[in-house]
Amino acid sequence: MTLGKMAWRNLWRRKRRTFITAFSIGFGVMLTVTFTGTGDYGYTKMINAGAIMGLGHVTIEPRGYNQTPALDKRLLKAEQIREQILTMPGVSDAIVRIMGQAMFASARKTVGGMFMAIDPAQDSAEQNLLLRSLVHGHLFSSAEGRGVVVGTKMAEKLNLRIGKKLVYTTTDIYGEIVSEIARVVGIFETGVDEVDGAMVLLPISSVRATLHYDVQDATLVAVIINDHRRAKSVRDQISAAVGNPQREVLTWKQTQTELAGIITMDKSGNYIMQLLIGLLIAAGLLNTLLMSVLERKREFGVMMAVGMSPATLFRLVLVESFWLALIGLIVGIIITTPWYAYLYYVGLDFSGAIGEGYNAGGVLVDPLFKIRLYKESIIAILAGVFSLTLLSGIYPAWRAGRIPPVESLKVI
Amino acid sequence: MGHQSIVHLEDTTKIYQQGKVEVCAVDRLSLSIKKGDFASLCGPSGSGKTTVLNLIGGLDIPTSGRVLLENQDLAILTRSQISAIRRDRLGFVFQAYNLIPVLTAYENAEFVLRLQGVSERECRDRVMAVLKEVGLEDLENRRPDEMSGGQQQRVAIARAIVSRPAIVLADEPTANVDSATAESLLDLMQRLNQDYGGTFLFSTHDHRVMERARRLICLKDGRIETDEVRR
Repeated sequence: MTLGKMAWRNLWRRKRRTFITAFSIGFGVMLTVTFTGTGDYGYTKMINAGAIMGLGHVTIEPRGYNQTPALDKRLLKAEQIREQILTMPGVSDAIVRIMGQAMFASARKTVGGMFMAIDPAQDSAEQNLLLRSLVHGHLFSSAEGRGVVVGTKMAEKLNLRIGKKLVYTTTDIYGEIVSEIARVVGIFETGVDEVDGAMVLLPISSVRATLHYDVQDATLVAVIINDHRRAKSVRDQISAAVGNPQREVLTWKQTQTELAGIITMDKSGNYIMQLLIGLLIAAGLLNTLLMSVLERKREFGVMMAVGMSPATLFRLVLVESFWLALIGLIVGIIITTPWYAYLYYVGLDFSGAIGEGYNAGGVLVDPLFKIRLYKESIIAILAGVFSLTLLSGIYPAWRAGRIPPVESLKVI
Repeated sequence: MGHQSIVHLEDTTKIYQQGKVEVCAVDRLSLSIKKGDFASLCGPSGSGKTTVLNLIGGLDIPTSGRVLLENQDLAILTRSQISAIRRDRLGFVFQAYNLIPVLTAYENAEFVLRLQGVSERECRDRVMAVLKEVGLEDLENRRPDEMSGGQQQRVAIARAIVSRPAIVLADEPTANVDSATAESLLDLMQRLNQDYGGTFLFSTHDHRVMERARRLICLKDGRIETDEVRR
């Protein structure tokens, strides 16, 4: 008779209690999966949405541009850098852009805003939220020309329609004020007022000419990667390949600090919630295991009287926790799988509660609540719940080993 | 201490604290149990019989004096050393059988051997032999709740003797069984004593046990009142 077999049988002496405990562990797994899955899915969506709003997961830009963006700070040979980056593992795309501030004027009004100068040959709806959100017209067909795409809110403010003229005024590399005229070819609507009311898309070659940039120059290269969790390692890789004192390579956490802050705060809240759930479950487990030890005091006394050492008794109770953890995890997997599948494939629609245009840190948040777990999260949850159950067994196991045999033999 | 002594109590006292009152369960008691003894501790309730067994079994420690088991002072041993002695040198039979409920008769009898690390094959041979000895070879797969009191006590005896201990300590072994079963259990233990030279020390109120004992030690107020050796 091995300890494992004996512990297994001990567990089934009170079937109902074992089932209730296993279900509480399983329920804990389900809650943890929901919280972690929401985070994994939601953060990924937010980070990827943030990335396609202009700066990518990793950004290469002139040193100091991130702190004080100004158009006199240029990234020289940006196109060449892009070519180099595209060959790197984990990089799915790299897009050269010029981003800066400008005044936009129509015959009716003038407003301040931001422009993103892009090359239609490089940018696509997949990597650019503004292109994905076109509601009228189309994108300018080449990097040259006078086409401009504006947001709905700006179009409203400036009374713009397709075909109307727009003058933008900014400063060039010498700090001189320069103006250029453009004609509206498209209108986008992302749902985020700050974006729709202030962002404008311009053809990159025309902007280069206006700003007196060289044909290869830009303010940044936005790098889109396959897995946002690898942003730091991709940054280091890029930094090693193309870094120099005039350039810096930054991750989305450095370029989108507001979004990173929101995610960090949300994650912390999530962790605290999971910790509380864990503590509640651990308290329940501790209570169950301790009760099962205390009601077997006499039996343990007999075992020690016939020669079982306190260490072996400790192991016996710990093995019982091990089995309980295993059963709890199996129950957890069984009850969580359909729940996870529903939230993964169908999801819960909260658009009625939070609306379509809810954003966090300027990044649009999907009102469809879905979940997705990373492999590491699955391992972490299983290992976490398993360890928690084992840890809950340590004190009862220790108590079992400390029971004086003579005292326990008096227990009827 | 005689050279054949297995157990030697030397001026041993055990005082319990019951609330604010101190109770002297064993009072400066000296006693030797020799190899092959079939001895019985008798006396009224509270005379210290069970306490003496607990002290010899290392389940309790004396307030003063010494308890030597095979010349080893139990008071100076660590918890794990005492566990090892109980496992290897002592056998216990309790009044309430105290079998492990999740184990079968075979597994209960095998329990101590497994703790000793005896191989499965050797365990099988020894356990089956001892179950045959106590007349339970056909009930090896029964759990305690599927056996009568007498059968359970036989399993307890099998568990106590299977590891060939230096001494078997039996606390009121016949108290919970009917007369016929009590007689057959005593027959069994007497046979084991005679055939294999096993040493038995009982604590009992049962006159049948006292009649069969070859040495009768009567206790009163924690002291030996009489110590009679019979032929």
